[in-house]
Amino acid sequence: MAVETKLPPVLDIIRSNIVKYGNPLAMKGSEVASWAKGFNLPKRGDILFYTGGEYQLLPFIDSLVKTMTHIDQGSKGFSLMMGVRNVLDKAGFNAEKVYASVLAKDRDRYNRVCNKAAHILQRLGYDLCYPGDEELYSGALLYELGFWEDLKEYAQKVVDMIERTGAKTIVCLSPHAAEVLKLVYPQLVPGFSAEVKTFVEMVWEQRDKLPAIPTSKPVVIHDSCRLARELEIDEEIRDILQAVGVPIVEAFRNKKWTTCCGGPSKLLFPELSHTMGSRRVDELEETGAEIILTSCPYCLASLEGGQTKGDKTTVEDLIEFLYRGFAA
Amino acid sequence: MKLDLTKDFAEYAKDLNQASHDENIQKAMTRAVKSYRDTTAETMKRYPHTPDLALEVQGIKTKAIENNPDLLQQAMASVERNKGKAFYAKDAAEAVALAAQIIGKGKTVVKGKSMLGEEIHLREYLEEQGTEVWETDLGEFILQLKKERPMHILSPAIHVPREQVAEIFSKFFGKEVPPDIAAEVAQVREFMRDKYFTSDVGISGANVVAADTGAMVIIENEGNVRLSTGAPPVHIVMVGIEKIVPTFSDAMKVAEVTWRYAQYGIPGYVNIISGPSKTGDIEKVTTYGAHGPKEFYVIFVDNGRSLMARDERFSQALHCLRCGGCMYECPVFQVTAGHFGYTYLGGIGSIWTAFVSGGLEKAAPLLYTCLRCGRCVERCPMSINVPEMVGQLRKMIVNGEQIAQEDLTLAATVGNVSQALSS
Repeated sequence: MAVETKLPPVLDIIRSNIVKYGNPLAMKGSEVASWAKGFNLPKRGDILFYTGGEYQLLPFIDSLVKTMTHIDQGSKGFSLMMGVRNVLDKAGFNAEKVYASVLAKDRDRYNRVCNKAAHILQRLGYDLCYPGDEELYSGALLYELGFWEDLKEYAQKVVDMIERTGAKTIVCLSPHAAEVLKLVYPQLVPGFSAEVKTFVEMVWEQRDKLPAIPTSKPVVIHDSCRLARELEIDEEIRDILQAVGVPIVEAFRNKKWTTCCGGPSKLLFPELSHTMGSRRVDELEETGAEIILTSCPYCLASLEGGQTKGDKTTVEDLIEFLYRGFAA
Repeated sequence: MKLDLTKDFAEYAKDLNQASHDENIQKAMTRAVKSYRDTTAETMKRYPHTPDLALEVQGIKTKAIENNPDLLQQAMASVERNKGKAFYAKDAAEAVALAAQIIGKGKTVVKGKSMLGEEIHLREYLEEQGTEVWETDLGEFILQLKKERPMHILSPAIHVPREQVAEIFSKFFGKEVPPDIAAEVAQVREFMRDKYFTSDVGISGANVVAADTGAMVIIENEGNVRLSTGAPPVHIVMVGIEKIVPTFSDAMKVAEVTWRYAQYGIPGYVNIISGPSKTGDIEKVTTYGAHGPKEFYVIFVDNGRSLMARDERFSQALHCLRCGGCMYECPVFQVTAGHFGYTYLGGIGSIWTAFVSGGLEKAAPLLYTCLRCGRCVERCPMSINVPEMVGQLRKMIVNGEQIAQEDLTLAATVGNVSQALSS
C-alpha cells in the first residue's frame, strides 16, 4: 500500500519551482542570465559555460531562509503563507521572490561571480557558449531531496538544452551541478555523454597562464564536500593557488576530511545549519588565515552567514579571488 | 494511506535547536570529539595494520551478510552443541517474550550495555513484567536513573557532565556524592557489586558471534560484563543476527577493528563465551555451573535485519560494527548528540531506524537531517555509504513506497531455525 507522506511544505515548493520554472526559486530566465550582458557569448559552441543559476539565486535563498527561521513550518501561519503564495502564483507573481527580495542585498555581488568566472575562463583561452535565458538549473536538489521521478523527466529537458548548444564539454561553476550531471545523469538519460568539468579543473589545466596575485598573507581553503569527496578534486585548488603565488594554510579538517558548511540543511533546519556554518568558520579561523576560499555557491553563502560580528576573515569564492589577478 | 509529518518535523527541529544550545551537550561533545580524534590518531599510529585489517573485515562482513541464513543455522547448532540453548526471534515482541520466559517471575537481572536492548525496549518490558533490572554499564546506569535514552552508542551518557551525575547519584543513593568522577565511580562499584552476586540472571549483547564455535565476543572496559555474565546462575545473550561471522578467527579480526575504531585502543576486557560454565575435575564427569552460569541461552534477533540483508541497496548497513566513529565526525551529531537519532543515532542510525526501529515514519526527520556530506564514509572502517542509502530512502518516502514486509518465518525455516525455536 502506498503511503502519501506530507513533508514540510518548503520541499514541495522547491520541487515544483524546479519542475515548473527550471529554477528552485522560480527565477525568470532573464534574471538568471542578466550577468551575461555585454559578453555577447554565442548560444552554440564546444564549451558550455554552465552557471545553473546557482550563484544568482543565493541572496534569495538566504532571504527566504531568514524569513523561514522566524516561522514555525508546522504552524498555521506558515500554511497560510503558502496559501498566499498560491494566490500570488495564480495572479502571476512569484511569491518566493516577493518574500525574498525584500531582504535581498547581495544580488549584484553573486551575479558578478558568474561574470568573473566567464572572464577568467576566456582569458585562459577557452571559447565559451551560453544559452542565456534558456539556461536551466541542474536539478541537483531534486536528486538531493528524493524527487528522483521528477528528476528523470526534468533531466531530459536539461539535456535538450545542453544539446541545443552543441557543446562537448560542460563547465560547471557549482560542484552540485557537476556531481549530478556527471554521476547521476548518465543513469537517467540514455546516451548522455557530454564531458562534465568543474570550473576548478578548467582553470587547473591552464594555471600557468594565470596572473600572479600579489599577497604575502596566507589563505585557507574550505573544501566543498561534493568537490573533495564525490568529485575528488582537492589538490587542484592548491596547485592553482601555488601557481598564482599565494601561500596556503591548511585547516585541521580538510580535503577528503573537510567539514560540511551546514548548507544542505538550510531549507529544513535553518538554525542548525547556521550553527554548523559558524563552527566551520571557527575551524578555518583557527589557522590564522584572514581569507577563506571556497569553490561552491552554497559553501560561500553558508560560511558568510556563519561569520560573527568581529570576525576579521573574509569569505570569497575562488572565482572572486582569482579575478583579483585580472583586475589588478 | 496518508501520513502528515509536518508537525513531527517542526517538533524535531525545535529539539535539535534546543540541543545545539544546551551547554552540557556542547561541553561534553567538544571534549568527546577531541578525545576521540586524539586517541584514534594515536592508536592508528601504534597499530598501523588497522586500515588493512578493516578492509579484510569488509570482505568478511559482506560475505557473512550474504550467507546470513546459513551462518545463523550454524551458529545456533554450535550453541546447542556447547550445551547452550539457541533461539531465533523474528521480531522485538518475540525476543522480549522469550527473554521473559527464560527469566521467570519475580527475578532480578543485571544487564550489560546493548543497543539491541534499546531497540526492543528490553528493560522496560522486563520491568513491566515485575523483573528488577539493573544496567551495569556506568553510562547506562546514569541514564536508567535519569530515565533517558542513550545519546551515543558507546558512551550513552556522553551529554551528562560530572556535576549532573553527582546530583543524580546524591538523590538516588540518599547521600552526598561529590562531583568527583572517581568518587562517583566508586559509589556505583560498591552498589553494583552486591547486585552481581544476588541477581538471578545476567543479560548481555555480543559484538561478534563466530558461527563455527558458537563463541560470543563481547568487548568492554569496565568489567561489568565479566561480572554480570559470570556471577549469576543464568546468562542470556541477546544479539542481532547480523553479528555472525563464519569462523573464530574472523570474529577476532572483526573484534580488533571494532575496538580500534571505537576509541578503545586496547580494551580492558574481551570476553569470549561459548557455553555454560563446566568442570570435569571430579572423575572426569562433566558437570555444569561450576563457578559461572549453569544455564546459557542465546536469542538471535532478526527484527527487520533479514529484510535489510536481502535488499542490495541496504545490505551494507548491516556491516556496521557499531564502533560509533562516524558520529564523532558528523557535523550534525557534533552539535546535537543523540537528538539526531531515534533509537539508533546519526546517519547510519537513520537507515537502521527505517528497518528495525520505528520505520520510515520515525526515520523521515532523521533522513532529512543528514547533510549527505559523506565524512562518515571516510571514518567508517566498513566504508558504509550512508549518503547513498539516505538518498534511496528519501526517494522511497517521496514516492510513497514502503519497506517491503516479508513473512519472516520463511526466513527462519530457510535456515531450519524453527526447530531450535521449539526445542
